[in-house]
Amino acid sequence: MDPVIIAAVLSSALRQSTPISLGALSGLFCERSGVINIGIEGMMLMAAFTGFVASAVTGNIFLAILVAVLTGMLMALFHGWLSIQFKVDQIISGTVINILAVGLTGYFYTRNLTTQGKLEPIALPGLSQIPIIGRVLFDNPPITYLALVLVFVAHFVLFHTRWGLRLRAVGEHPRAADTLGINVIWMRYANVVIGGALAGLAGAFLTLEAVGSFERGMTNGRGFISLAVMIFGKWTPLGAWAGALLFGFTNALQTQLQFSGLGSVIPHQFVGMLPYLLTIIVLAGFVGRARPPAAVGQPYTKE
Amino acid sequence: MSKFTIKLLSGLAAAALILAACAPAATPAPTAVPFRVGVVTDVGEVDDKSFNQSAWEGAQQGAAAVGGTAEYIETKDAKDYGANIAEFADKGYDVIITVGFALGQATTEAAKKYPNVKFIGVDQFQGESVANLSGLIFHEDHSGYLAGVLAAKMTKTGTIAAVLGTDLVPPVVAFKEGYEAGAKATKPDIKIISTYHPGGLDVAFTDPEWGATTAAQAVDQGADVVFGAGGKTGNGALIEVASRDGLLCIGVDSDQWETVPEAHSCLISSAMKLITPGVVDLIKLAKDGQFPAGNYFGDAALAPFHDFDSQVPADVKTLIEDTAKGLKDGTIKTGYGE
Amino acid sequence: MQIKSPTFLRSLTQTLVLPLLSVVTAVLVGSLFMLLNGYNPLAAYAGMLDGAFGSPTSVARTLLSAIPLLFSGLSVAFAFKGGLFNIGGEGQLFLGAVASAWVGVAFAGLPGVIHMTLAVLAGFIAGALWGGISGALKAYTGAHEVITTIMLNNLAIILAGWLVSQGGEGQTPGPLRDPDPLNIVPRTAQVAESARLPVLFKLGSESINFGLILAILAILIIWWLVWRSTFGFELRMVGLNPSAGKYAGVNVKRTTITTMAIAGGLAALAGAIETLGRNYYFAPNFNTGYGFDGIAVALLGKSHPLGVGLSAVLFGAMDAGTTRMQLAARVPSEIIQIVQALVLVFIAAPEIIRFIYRMRLEKEERAALSAGWGQR
Repeated sequence: MDPVIIAAVLSSALRQSTPISLGALSGLFCERSGVINIGIEGMMLMAAFTGFVASAVTGNIFLAILVAVLTGMLMALFHGWLSIQFKVDQIISGTVINILAVGLTGYFYTRNLTTQGKLEPIALPGLSQIPIIGRVLFDNPPITYLALVLVFVAHFVLFHTRWGLRLRAVGEHPRAADTLGINVIWMRYANVVIGGALAGLAGAFLTLEAVGSFERGMTNGRGFISLAVMIFGKWTPLGAWAGALLFGFTNALQTQLQFSGLGSVIPHQFVGMLPYLLTIIVLAGFVGRARPPAAVGQPYTKE
Repeated sequence: MSKFTIKLLSGLAAAALILAACAPAATPAPTAVPFRVGVVTDVGEVDDKSFNQSAWEGAQQGAAAVGGTAEYIETKDAKDYGANIAEFADKGYDVIITVGFALGQATTEAAKKYPNVKFIGVDQFQGESVANLSGLIFHEDHSGYLAGVLAAKMTKTGTIAAVLGTDLVPPVVAFKEGYEAGAKATKPDIKIISTYHPGGLDVAFTDPEWGATTAAQAVDQGADVVFGAGGKTGNGALIEVASRDGLLCIGVDSDQWETVPEAHSCLISSAMKLITPGVVDLIKLAKDGQFPAGNYFGDAALAPFHDFDSQVPADVKTLIEDTAKGLKDGTIKTGYGE
Repeated sequence: MQIKSPTFLRSLTQTLVLPLLSVVTAVLVGSLFMLLNGYNPLAAYAGMLDGAFGSPTSVARTLLSAIPLLFSGLSVAFAFKGGLFNIGGEGQLFLGAVASAWVGVAFAGLPGVIHMTLAVLAGFIAGALWGGISGALKAYTGAHEVITTIMLNNLAIILAGWLVSQGGEGQTPGPLRDPDPLNIVPRTAQVAESARLPVLFKLGSESINFGLILAILAILIIWWLVWRSTFGFELRMVGLNPSAGKYAGVNVKRTTITTMAIAGGLAALAGAIETLGRNYYFAPNFNTGYGFDGIAVALLGKSHPLGVGLSAVLFGAMDAGTTRMQLAARVPSEIIQIVQALVLVFIAAPEIIRFIYRMRLEKEERAALSAGWGQR
């Protein structure tokens, strides 16, 4: 096959997987600490919006990323406040975040706001010259690199640090963790907010790196797909990343199939179903039973 | 002749209906209130930089031209079409403009229910003629064809692309088929890579990141002219192309030079359908009592080249002008819908 | 864990008091929000009330919005009771609409009652199959229903679109597309008169169809099914604790599949009723959002069928009132979503309401909804 096309497809796959894998990491930190987060979609959308506004108003794109990340953290804090403090059902709390984000971004969206450009790709010297791989992996804009690094950072933090051990303990056996002197409430707050920051980064990716503009409802379910990918990866960063890549790849593949003129042979809708169908098949056939953190969804009350 | 008879008959039928409707109820005297125009958008906003906005601008200009006022309702959900139209109709608005093919059914029903209100259905092809309903439609395949000619003339790599909304919307299909026909007619060995958004109507036009990444995928395999036709999804494609050097992009619906400034560095032109002037014309006709039932064709054309004017060779400009004439008088066929 | 059946009355008051205060508070906070942004909240809410209840026509529109919301809400609530989270309402709804439209068109000529019943049933079955797939995947492979329902949503919407699509040049149109060449819109043909839900009565300029009766029946049947039937007992047992259910001899696999199938069927009925009672055809721009709104409706109704009914009416009223509110006060329609989110916050965190109104804390059982995440 033409290497140019292979590079084009793979690079599109990586790009489409980026917000998904960031979103999945966001969910991961929340859920590993015992808090369900179906509000990823809303956090992403809200952050995409504030990041866009900040970029349009200040013209400083890095400040804008910071604003987006902070927005994600603030939304997460709200999620934590409701679900940890008030012990609100975590699915309700997440639904609230989602509805609120649609409402607030739509309400405050004003026409005629334009940003000056978006984050540009940075070709890593030397590495970007490698055929195919160079174009796909080493000629990307900053948030894409960051997302790749974060997958491994998350894996390391989760499974090779004290913080990770405590985090998992809080999500699996909060009572036992408490007895060992771990502050369950604090750990949950901290990790939910970390998750918010990651969702915020996914939002920043959408408006500040990928599109360069905001649109109402532009997340279009990417937050929910992230959630699926997180479960698909059995609550592990590397697994979630693999899921995100698979999803990005099938999406890029379906575009390529249409490019190749397959649309006139079989209806393009059949090709369009590929990413979803593949996810289900892989999940059902190969990945098997997913086991969530034992205490996920249960508010913790100190005795 | 038969057309005239149908019009006459439907006109008479409408008149009878109006008389029937007016006879028992004392409707408020129409002279007391100003001429009122209402716009019901498709799901989306009046400031969508696309067809809702064009229609709304047409409504404002048209209302101003006849000394009336204009109001709008933004449809939040497809299920509200009927209710939103009724909101204006019940208040006795003179002209109601519904924007988008999706409102076709609701508009036809409303037109039959409120025979003394004039309805303008933007993008709504009329299969049967209702006296107080005019479908403002366009030969999108014509402006798509012109865009294809332009793209084929301007490409250096011999590969051009189209990033499209969904084929569930007939005008999008028309743009695509016209674009491909125009490109092939100009340069038979051209390679055209085009793709529709795979999702449903709920996402197909509001997914700029899909448009952007798809445009990138096309550009990465050699496309140097990209036609972005599909609302915000297409806009995402235009902005993506603008972030690369030495590429060209073509917008859709309105002159996107005005609506997507982020794309100035690549936007050579736009395949337009002139909704605004079409709406203005129809409002004036409604005011003058010469409202045309059935289908009313608005203009479809290519937008100015703006900053790219000097880059388009004179012979290409001539070719496009000749092609536009040919399409208008029927000597050139796009092959769409025939 | 204790499973008891709350009496109808007790559960009714429980469903009513806090929600009412929550709604009032949300409306007040919404007013403050509008004031700060320079809009007139009085005009906005007056417009909203007028649009939702101001005239017989308005009431009719509220009801007509409430009916599909009730079904999609019941769908989510029913799955919650069984410890499952059905985010698949949207896709199930689409397939319900397509299937009922197909029967409505293809079997024209059948006697009225039979044709209508068949068309409604077809919708239910399509949704039940679609939901059942998620249930079966969960039961036999452990694939999480949240993922599969989300994926199946996308599949259903794309599939439904293809069935009625026109396609480009040289392509064959979808099998269910209206063959009438004058119709350029991608949609099915009109369903036969015999398959349409009969109009019960006229309310202003809108007609209320038989869907209203089906909605009331659904509330009663689901209430009975969950709290009075053996299956409901098993369903709630599995929902609260799958391993306890297994220990007690409940067939967890079968319960899971049945729960998702019924939930899917309920959501699909929303689509079938819209198709057979109001639109008379299926088009892909159909009712986007009812499926997702169902989650909020179920949560607001605390997953109790009657509560879901009331919250469906509330959401329906907000839906119906939006247009007039927009016209009356020029407030962006998204304010409704902000108020809806606030209502949910207050309902879900009664502590906030109790704090504001200095209410005494009472022992109140919390609806266990998130059990849906657990394994089985």
